[in-house]
Amino acid sequence: MCGISGIVSFDGPPDLALLRRMTARLGHRGPDGNGYYRDRCAALGHTRLAIIDTEGGVQPLCNEDGTLWVTFNGEIFNYLELATELRHRGHIFRTASDTEVIVHAWEEWGPECFARFNGQWAIGLWDRRAERLVLSRDRLGVRPLFYSRGPKRMLFASEVKSLFADPSVERAFDPVGLDQVFTYWSPVAPRTVFRGIEQLEPGHYAILDRGGFRKAPYWRIAFPERGREPVQETQDNADALRERIIEAARLRFLRSDVPVGAYLSGGLDSSITAAVIARYTSAPLDTFSLRFSDEEFDEGQYQKKMSAVLGTRHHEITVSPADIAAVFPRVVQHAESPILRAAPAPMFLLSELVRKNGYKVVVTGEGADEMLAGYDLFREARMRSFWSRDPASAKRSRGVELLYPWMVRSPGQAPAFARSFFGRGTDTDDPAFSHRPRWDSTAVIKRLLSQDMQDQIERADTEDVVARMPSDSKDWDPLSRAQWLEMTTLLAGYILASQGDRMLMANSVEGRFPFLDRDVVDFANALPARHKLFGLEEKYLLKRAFADLVPDDIIHRPKQPYRAPDAASFFTPDRPAWFDDLTSERAITEAGVFNPSLVSGLLAKCKRTGGKSMSNTDNMRVLAVVSTQLTHECFISARGREALERPLPDPSVAVDLVADDRSMS
Amino acid sequence: MHREIVEQVLQDYAALRRPDTDPELEAVRRTILLEDVFDIVLPDAEIAPALLADASAVAALVGRLQGTV
Repeated sequence: MCGISGIVSFDGPPDLALLRRMTARLGHRGPDGNGYYRDRCAALGHTRLAIIDTEGGVQPLCNEDGTLWVTFNGEIFNYLELATELRHRGHIFRTASDTEVIVHAWEEWGPECFARFNGQWAIGLWDRRAERLVLSRDRLGVRPLFYSRGPKRMLFASEVKSLFADPSVERAFDPVGLDQVFTYWSPVAPRTVFRGIEQLEPGHYAILDRGGFRKAPYWRIAFPERGREPVQETQDNADALRERIIEAARLRFLRSDVPVGAYLSGGLDSSITAAVIARYTSAPLDTFSLRFSDEEFDEGQYQKKMSAVLGTRHHEITVSPADIAAVFPRVVQHAESPILRAAPAPMFLLSELVRKNGYKVVVTGEGADEMLAGYDLFREARMRSFWSRDPASAKRSRGVELLYPWMVRSPGQAPAFARSFFGRGTDTDDPAFSHRPRWDSTAVIKRLLSQDMQDQIERADTEDVVARMPSDSKDWDPLSRAQWLEMTTLLAGYILASQGDRMLMANSVEGRFPFLDRDVVDFANALPARHKLFGLEEKYLLKRAFADLVPDDIIHRPKQPYRAPDAASFFTPDRPAWFDDLTSERAITEAGVFNPSLVSGLLAKCKRTGGKSMSNTDNMRVLAVVSTQLTHECFISARGREALERPLPDPSVAVDLVADDRSMS
Repeated sequence: MHREIVEQVLQDYAALRRPDTDPELEAVRRTILLEDVFDIVLPDAEIAPALLADASAVAALVGRLQGTV
């Protein structure tokens, strides 16, 4: 895993010093080496986390005659099979790296090469002869790729902070990007929270040449028409799913020249990935877990149990609310976006633990909840739909007790809770029926916005993600529509970004995700919805497929969403010193996003209780304010701008054709 | 066709679920499953603890509610 950057300018040679500054801001993504290439129209930069072909895979890397160059972040897990095929077609390889496969695959197949890749990637390819830049991003957005387009040149990079190395790139919030965060929890590609900075949509490639800039998808999230799924038999599908997940986990564990560890949360998904690795590979396995000092969030007993069953060397870190508060500014600096939950902070500390133990690759269970229907949101939608068929039915109203068993112990609260639960988003014809309650409850943050920000959002051309749903989605199962929304919004924008890539790469650790394997995803999307959410049983097929590898009490334990102690950390007596200044009336006014007096009222209310018994809404509001202010401080105001730039060691690749031309003339 | 799918659903259900201790809640859980799989709506009177106990009865119920028998 690495950091990539680049500049394309058709008006004169790109500024090499700028490229080096851009690359220096990605040093955390690749501490093992760096390199650059420049000609009269383009410059490519790279920082390397060496994982495959640690000796030969330095970048930027070129084809045989030096006319096609690539800078690449990620892994193409089927690179050995592709290399064999390309060799048969006459391509000559100089390295054993997956990077070189990209160059030859582009030469052979052009844009169709991306559909052949099974992996996680952000790629910048420069064709010198055609004077053409090609950008590509993996199917679901595991790897980030941002760009800024001006009239004369374009910059691209793995992280926004790299683009901000150019002082001419505007530093301002994008009101629509913020509006999306305060609705969907994250900006939706191509939006970001920064004006003029876009991200390439997952599953897309883009081309920039003298004819202009254009984008196209090479893959789409798609589901079959309900009832027309190719295989209906449960056991056949369970067997096939198991086979694909085993192969995906093996590929991710074995295709590495450095040791690979595994996260173990105590839940089903990471238990399965770790169990598959332990069962189907011969290498010893190190597992890494996050524990919380607060028992409400801790899953330690399940982690220990699974580790003991698998016989792994287990490592854990226990995180307290104070730890989360202390690390929060660094988390936002890496996330480059406001975040509405503190959950990325412990993930940052967990990847730090991995790195301290000498590992730089981990396999995790991310993606199973989206692909195989694990989230409560899917169950809640089914329950609301069930109730809406006869709202007067007392029996149907009791269904909510199946989702929230605590209600059985609090029968007095049940009727009121049920009225509130079922009263949200009752239009079952709404394509976003599943997500409307979450979006509506998140949008209460916007009541805190300053008048100016509200006006900016009002004036802007806001984008409704529902309008992007494919036209044939009306024939999908309602669960499939919910999955499409979840993959398009939260998975790409938050789970894989703020909570995934950014928190891993902050400590130079690569995450690998078997559940997001191309063949697993395509197979899962083609399953009958009932094999994923069977009545109210989440991830039914996955549980069935791996019932022999995971202990019964982990298979059957109620789904526990990954959560961390949230905003209460900021109201304890030992809260961090920066908090009061960051949220002062002066700072809130300067950032311009929120109304200072409303924020002041919210914080005063939370301080009175010392952060105890905060509502979910207040929790989210506080985190929205704090993380937005930190985003502003890190990236928009003068303070903190240079924070992550680090000196680059001597480059492993240093190709400057502009300097060569000058020296020859 | 109903009969085959009904039998598969009953087997799948039995494979993983531990019944709820409250019979009415268990009936609600089973109703949610049946309504989703077969795209039917059960009247309140049919949401009863005996639901899903017998494949023939379920097949007949589904057929009746789908208007195919």
